[in-house]
Amino acid sequence: MSEGAFKKYGKRTLVYLFLILMSIISVFPLYWCFISSCNNTQQILGGRMVPSTHLIENLKNLFAQQDVLNAFKNSVINTVLVLVLSLAICSIAGYGFEIFHDKGKDAVMAVIMMSMMVPFVAILVPLFQMFTKMGFVNKYIGYILPSLSTPFLIMLFRNNARTFPKEVLEAARVDGLSEFGIFVRMFVPMMRPTFAAAATITFMNTWNAYLWPKVVLQTPDSITMPMLVANLLSGYVVDYGVVMAGVTICTLPTVIVFFILQKSFTEAVAGAVK
Amino acid sequence: MKKLISLLLAMLMVLSLGTVAFAEPGDQADGKLTIWCWDQTFNIAAMEKAKEMYQEEHPDVEIDVQEVLWEDVESRIIASNGDTSTLPDITLIQDNAFQKEVINYPEVFYDMTDTYDFTDFGEAKVAYSVVDGHNYGIPFDAGTVVAAWRTDYLEEAGYTVDDLTDIDMDRFLEIARDVKEKTGMPMLSGQAGAVDTVMILLQSCGGSLFNEDGTVNMKDNEKLKAVVDVYNTMVAEGLFIEVNSWDEYIGTLSNQSVVGTFTGCWILSTIMSLSDQAGLWAVTNMPAMSGVEDATNYSNNGGSSWAIINNKDIDLALDFMQMYRNVDFYDAILPTTSAIACYTPAKEGSNYTAPSDFFNGDAIFAKIVEFGALVPANNTGAYYYDARDALGTAITNVLNGGDIDSELATAEDTVNFTMGF
Repeated sequence: MSEGAFKKYGKRTLVYLFLILMSIISVFPLYWCFISSCNNTQQILGGRMVPSTHLIENLKNLFAQQDVLNAFKNSVINTVLVLVLSLAICSIAGYGFEIFHDKGKDAVMAVIMMSMMVPFVAILVPLFQMFTKMGFVNKYIGYILPSLSTPFLIMLFRNNARTFPKEVLEAARVDGLSEFGIFVRMFVPMMRPTFAAAATITFMNTWNAYLWPKVVLQTPDSITMPMLVANLLSGYVVDYGVVMAGVTICTLPTVIVFFILQKSFTEAVAGAVK
Repeated sequence: MKKLISLLLAMLMVLSLGTVAFAEPGDQADGKLTIWCWDQTFNIAAMEKAKEMYQEEHPDVEIDVQEVLWEDVESRIIASNGDTSTLPDITLIQDNAFQKEVINYPEVFYDMTDTYDFTDFGEAKVAYSVVDGHNYGIPFDAGTVVAAWRTDYLEEAGYTVDDLTDIDMDRFLEIARDVKEKTGMPMLSGQAGAVDTVMILLQSCGGSLFNEDGTVNMKDNEKLKAVVDVYNTMVAEGLFIEVNSWDEYIGTLSNQSVVGTFTGCWILSTIMSLSDQAGLWAVTNMPAMSGVEDATNYSNNGGSSWAIINNKDIDLALDFMQMYRNVDFYDAILPTTSAIACYTPAKEGSNYTAPSDFFNGDAIFAKIVEFGALVPANNTGAYYYDARDALGTAITNVLNGGDIDSELATAEDTVNFTMGF
């Protein structure tokens, strides 16, 4: 092998080795989670890394201890509500801030951006007080309202709206399309990757939300999947096989959504527009 | 236009769905009780039994026992900011956090000093929920410390559990060194950075991280220095193995890599779940600190108490909570929950006096109730967990060669800073 070829293949081998290592580090927690859901507590604590035959038993115990179907249903309803409404609201807001921008709107956008600096925990108490007075505690609206409009999503749509071709906008206006029509018929189809990225982020954040739901959803009927998993860890004696079965069920939807939307997600994050 | 109308209709539909409510809990003086607690096999099961026994006499009373994690109970108390309308009638509170909650949200907790009889509960246990001389909590599960030892390993080194009963720390270290030499096994294990063992030893001699007036007591706390010194010695000599997590600590017991443990009696549920080790364990009291004033062989780690919430059906809640002064109730919950009573007369119950097959016929539960009555009280205050965290850092630094005096002084400064001094 020539020196050049050796350098080329040697470098490539190193790159692949690094990537393989990183992939293993990234995938290992998921692998361990799935494997552990097939093992019992003693096997998990003993560090067993291959599946055993306890999956059915763990699932049976999980469904006996917790109302998994109800929690899953609540998580799905909450997530779908937030997903649909926040994408609709934030995409229109981001589009509006960019296409119709002036000094006043830019100042409003700056204020919205600044609100990203305020951690949620700082507004938790006043928000809960307000919702109690409005009668929103233990209601879907109480859960979804604070998540509907997020500065991050507005910023994402606004930044991506910058790449929306002005020619298309002007041509649509000349053709007599209304401003809302331009948004629905031109902007939405062209910004599909941005919507996919926003959907992935919103899905993950909403599905995994814990702090606000545990405060505002107080009845056992309203429990969500992350709250259910946390309940499994509450005892003096923890059945780790059952916990891992719960974690697996809780994680699967996020994994599936991410795999479905990953191509568009990458494109949007890289700023590409078809 | 059709698409626009469809979109608006879809949004209207999801918005209307958004206003659908889950069932609201009863929150007035309406003959209903809502109760929050967090462990299905333990305190929830106990409360369900109390509910069943109470409803036999009071069939019209509606009692809803809800599973709410301790962390969630705390978050909801904080979020309520003193408004009790979203809180239940009764909630379980971790003992170490009880005083903090009452000090921060006094309007939430009902003062039951004159309306509930606290005689026959362990003094130290009651003290966890006393603030300024007022009682706010009804003791539930004991965190009484037990020392559980593997008799087969002790036997291999020429000892029995009697050799580890009513002993002081000097004798314990002597035995621990000998056992390690003969069997190669460390006596104890624990989570690195978690200060359970140090706090257990500190309370066993009546010591606290706070003075009675709430000021921090770490820098010149002779009892604390002695305890940290003992802990340092045990770790340095390999008599106490530090592990990285709670799961690993449990692993040392299940994998049979330590001789035993001393911690809250709730650990017995875990030990008794190791069916392959039945007959190999014995329970006794912990070693007392040597040369330290007020040292005893008894302490506490963990546990919880019931709080009654203000502006609720307090009369009904008080009547229902009389169940926690009922020997039959404690006797009924012991086999299914392993919840060991803090109510001393419970030790007369048939399940308490029954010999345990797992522990070679020893009536361990009656023994633990007796231990519980001998535990010295301590002060927790509003900054207990901050002080524990600071102590954890100090201990880690001492183990890495730091000076005890200066590390405890730094820890005290850290807690004072948190307290705003």
